Amino acid sequence: MSVPNEGNDMSSSSDAQLSSHVFGDLLDSIIVDVASECHRIAKLGLDRNFEEEEEELRLSAQARVRVADPSNSGEANSKYVVDIFGQNHPSVASEVFECMNCGRSIVAGRFAPHLEKCMGKGRKARLKVTRSSTAAQTRNSRGNSASTYSTYSNSNSTSRLSNGASGVAGEEYSNGALEEP
Amino acid sequence: MRKSVNRPPTPDVAENQEKEPTLQELINIELIESGEKERLMELLRERLIECGWKDEMKALCRAFIKKKGRNNVTVDDLVHVMTPKGRASVPDSVKAELLQRIRTFLVSAAL
Repeated sequence: MSVPNEGNDMSSSSDAQLSSHVFGDLLDSIIVDVASECHRIAKLGLDRNFEEEEEELRLSAQARVRVADPSNSGEANSKYVVDIFGQNHPSVASEVFECMNCGRSIVAGRFAPHLEKCMGKGRKARLKVTRSSTAAQTRNSRGNSASTYSTYSNSNSTSRLSNGASGVAGEEYSNGALEEP
Repeated sequence: MRKSVNRPPTPDVAENQEKEPTLQELINIELIESGEKERLMELLRERLIECGWKDEMKALCRAFIKKKGRNNVTVDDLVHVMTPKGRASVPDSVKAELLQRIRTFLVSAAL
């Protein structure tokens, strides 16, 4: 890295201090933003994963599947395999749980196709608008599947899914700008 | 009802006019007026989302909220929970990129 003012130590160190101060300022603002977002989600009860029992059910269901798998290979009759809880493992996952995206009850065996439709891989899902408040801001570009999910809680996942990450960041900005008094 | 945000009281107008603006304040004004502060914030926001920092912070908040109970949490609580870990866990590359841009701005603003 090139150092522009080598002769003037005082100004370069206070420059560094100034830059750090500005950076700290920016970071603080962003932390406050994240805090207010989480606060809002908590108070409005929008966080559907909040109930612990649900998490544990899902985790134990996953664990059951994983444990049952290696023991399947040695068994003659896989229908009577017993897992660590002493339970039989059905051939098709029949556990019903809640989709974290749309909140519907889904059978585990049908979860993958459901997610396809729910999260926008399918053609029809792209036309779905999830929240009425953001409908006005949704841009009607045909190739942009990220535009239907411009709410706070979903913007994280869509910015990773879509290629135009800057487009989502721009929408996030416009969300904030519109809500400020 | 408990307030969600603790704001310090607004400083008196008469008090403010007697103080000389510090260098930091002048830089801040220049940053805001030129629009560079907004651009820097958006850049930082984007980088922090990309590297998963925002998700880490949200998980921290969720854990704290679970512990304390949904209705007892204030925005200030969350800020206090996030700030130490948040400042420490910014990736070096992100920090370097932002500092570089800020320094460039400072150099151009000083002219």
